Amino acid sequence: MSCLSISEVRKSFGGLHAVDGVSFDVDYGELIGLIGPNGSGKTTLLNILSGHQPPDSGQVLLDGRPIHRLKPEQIAQAGLLRMFQLTRVFRRMSAFDNLLTAGRALGLDHAEAIARARQLIEELTLTRVRDLDAGQLSGGQQKLLEFGCCFMRPPKIALLDEPFAAVHPTMKETLAGFIRKHHAEGQTFLIVSHDMPVIVELCPRTVCMNAGSVIADELTRAVLNDPVVIEAYLGGEVAA
Amino acid sequence: MKTDRNAVEFRLSLALLALVALIPAAVSNPYWLGVIIVSMYFALLAAGWNLLAGYTGQFSMAPACFAMIGAYASGLLSYHWNVSPWIGLPAAIIVSAAIGMVLGRIVMRLRGPYLALTTLSFAEIMRLVIGNSYSFTRGDLGLNVPGLFDSRLVYYYVFVGVLVAVQTGLFLLLRTKAGLYLRAIRDDEIAAASRGVDVVFWKTAAFTMSTAMSGLAGALYGGFSQLVSPELGLIAQTGLVICMVVIGGIGSLIGPLLGAFLVYASSEALREVGGVQLIVFSFLVIVFARFYREGLWGLAKRAFMRKPA
Amino acid sequence: MLNVDLLINGLIIGLFYALMAVGLTLIFGILKVVNFAHGEFYMVGTYTYTLVALKLGVDPWLALPLAAGAGAIVGSLTERMLMRPLYSGYTSWGMLKDEYAVVVTFALSLLLVNLVDKVIGPYSQRGPALIDITRMSLGPIMLSGQKLIATAVAAATIVALALFIRYSFWGRQIQAVAQNRLGASLAGIDTAKASNIVFTLSGALAGLSGALLAPIINASPDVGSFPAIKSYVIVVLGGMGSIVGSIAASLTLGVLEGFGAVYISYDYRDTFGLVILMLVLLVRPQGLFGEKGRDV
Repeated sequence: MSCLSISEVRKSFGGLHAVDGVSFDVDYGELIGLIGPNGSGKTTLLNILSGHQPPDSGQVLLDGRPIHRLKPEQIAQAGLLRMFQLTRVFRRMSAFDNLLTAGRALGLDHAEAIARARQLIEELTLTRVRDLDAGQLSGGQQKLLEFGCCFMRPPKIALLDEPFAAVHPTMKETLAGFIRKHHAEGQTFLIVSHDMPVIVELCPRTVCMNAGSVIADELTRAVLNDPVVIEAYLGGEVAA
Repeated sequence: MKTDRNAVEFRLSLALLALVALIPAAVSNPYWLGVIIVSMYFALLAAGWNLLAGYTGQFSMAPACFAMIGAYASGLLSYHWNVSPWIGLPAAIIVSAAIGMVLGRIVMRLRGPYLALTTLSFAEIMRLVIGNSYSFTRGDLGLNVPGLFDSRLVYYYVFVGVLVAVQTGLFLLLRTKAGLYLRAIRDDEIAAASRGVDVVFWKTAAFTMSTAMSGLAGALYGGFSQLVSPELGLIAQTGLVICMVVIGGIGSLIGPLLGAFLVYASSEALREVGGVQLIVFSFLVIVFARFYREGLWGLAKRAFMRKPA
Repeated sequence: MLNVDLLINGLIIGLFYALMAVGLTLIFGILKVVNFAHGEFYMVGTYTYTLVALKLGVDPWLALPLAAGAGAIVGSLTERMLMRPLYSGYTSWGMLKDEYAVVVTFALSLLLVNLVDKVIGPYSQRGPALIDITRMSLGPIMLSGQKLIATAVAAATIVALALFIRYSFWGRQIQAVAQNRLGASLAGIDTAKASNIVFTLSGALAGLSGALLAPIINASPDVGSFPAIKSYVIVVLGGMGSIVGSIAASLTLGVLEGFGAVYISYDYRDTFGLVILMLVLLVRPQGLFGEKGRDV
């Protein structure tokens, strides 16, 4: 059974078909990149997957279970966790409390949550800022924190929305390192990004969207050489 | 860790309340005892509103309204059906909590000014309805209700006891995951949901707890003053509560208490000087809101506490 | 005949509501906050008009623009000192802009009410009418001269405002900022100035309506609470930010209240608007004419 199964998902806003019949599967242990020019519908798709928007039609199965009509908190509990493009942390709570909240909400008890949070703080090199309000952390640290919140209880799949956007190169490396490490341990990822070098480096398989549809879904190397993809990024009409 | 901060605030609130408990040893003037009792009434309202607004981020304009509802719940039971105020008190809590739960569930999706406007309308509607239902509530004339106790002093200590219980309850609550969830909802509701927090449940819970506290305060106050009127639910009363919390320090355990005592007691003291108290307080609220959100408690913290980095 | 009478009176009242409320709509459109001191802008107008006319003996027709001017000044100061920091400076509330605005404007409202109560006195005072004719017939119904003139002034002002927003230079800047603040500033629009103009206008309009209604709704410190509540209802019904919507909502509310007072209940006439406000917000949080924003 695949981890995440997306079938014929459609979403329109007025006359705009933001997501127009998207289907693909993600197997356990995969690290998939999702690319596409601006406006291709990637973020809308992600919003549908994480429960922030209902699809007009189609379905999404997580581990065989339909999640497309569930609320975000239910989807999170079911094991799909998401990072946002514009980092969202609980600004007036300490970094440590941010992690605790995520852990408790996902079902860990007090002791487990504290232990896991301590572990993650170490791993994310946030020890020095552990007790500072999250709003006082640097942008990169906040990203790491948000990343950590997704891993208080290893999710079935982690959706990362532009995790490398506007991030310091060193931080990028740290983040990429975490992704690699967790992936090696079997964690499933779906990463939306514009950062081609990182996608090439991390993701064996890439899905490319344009104007709401999937126009390529194959090995990353192949996707990047696919003329259809190149045309989508550089302009011109997509061949029917 | 944040629980340390809560612990400090909690201990200080207990100290403050201990001080308040000692006052009757030095002051026997019933007028001034009454002033402190009313301050404690406001402190209860302030603590409830602070839970909802300061800790959960829902700025409701209805705390005074629910005090009025609680007072009338108990008062009407006694006025029409001779129900003892001992039963009226828990009834007031239950009625306020129930209505609060429904209202909270209804306004779930609203934020900021929308939430404020809706709760404001609700409060005004309730006040108008109660004020106009002359045959049932005696309208603007108010209801005369019996008290639980005859002695002012006993009421004084009942209020102190209730405040201690409420503060303890809040402290314990905030130490649990509830404390984490409420603040998470306040800081970023969408992120909270994405991490798995049941936002609907906790927002409703905060609303219900807050209105229950207001209802309790109202019923107690009604018994003390032996008169229940729609004036309890005036928007200006809510305004006073908000002033108290902002001045005292919103989002802290001790801020509402500090604010309530300071604002009300000094307003009574200033009454001698001339009715400038509300001018001063609303001005202070503006200054604090504009420049120093943490209020008086925040200032006190800076001045007296040296926290290790 | 009664119904026609009710209808016309309802529309007239609705027109005044529109004058009161449209400023609040503008503020919401551009700053996305509700100004809880709006009623006090109205009060400033009422008092200025009444006191200037009574105490200083100024001709009522001159007192009108003075009242509007006083409202304008209060509005401008409010924006400059309390609101501007929300966007181009620092407030200690950081991200909680909405909550800050609620608290600060609420406190401002309390401050102004109590200042007036203290400095001028709590007793109500009646301003002079603009015109001495007490009764005139307008087709099938009778109106007081004051009401007629006030209606004409209100209507003219609203039309002027609509034209200003639609066609003038600053009017279009304001529209741009209302639609997209960041985009507008990137395009070179002085968003702070636009916000200030909106607050100033709002104060002026509220002050003007206070003055126009002064002979009917006498000046007293809490005179602002009534127009404030009506304005909130209208701003929500009309779609927080839509001028056309709020004018439509105002007229509707006026007529509804008029008929409701006669056919349903006089005592509860003020609750109709409030109940409608609650119902609308619960079903359509963006108001009847507003647009839904995107959360994520």
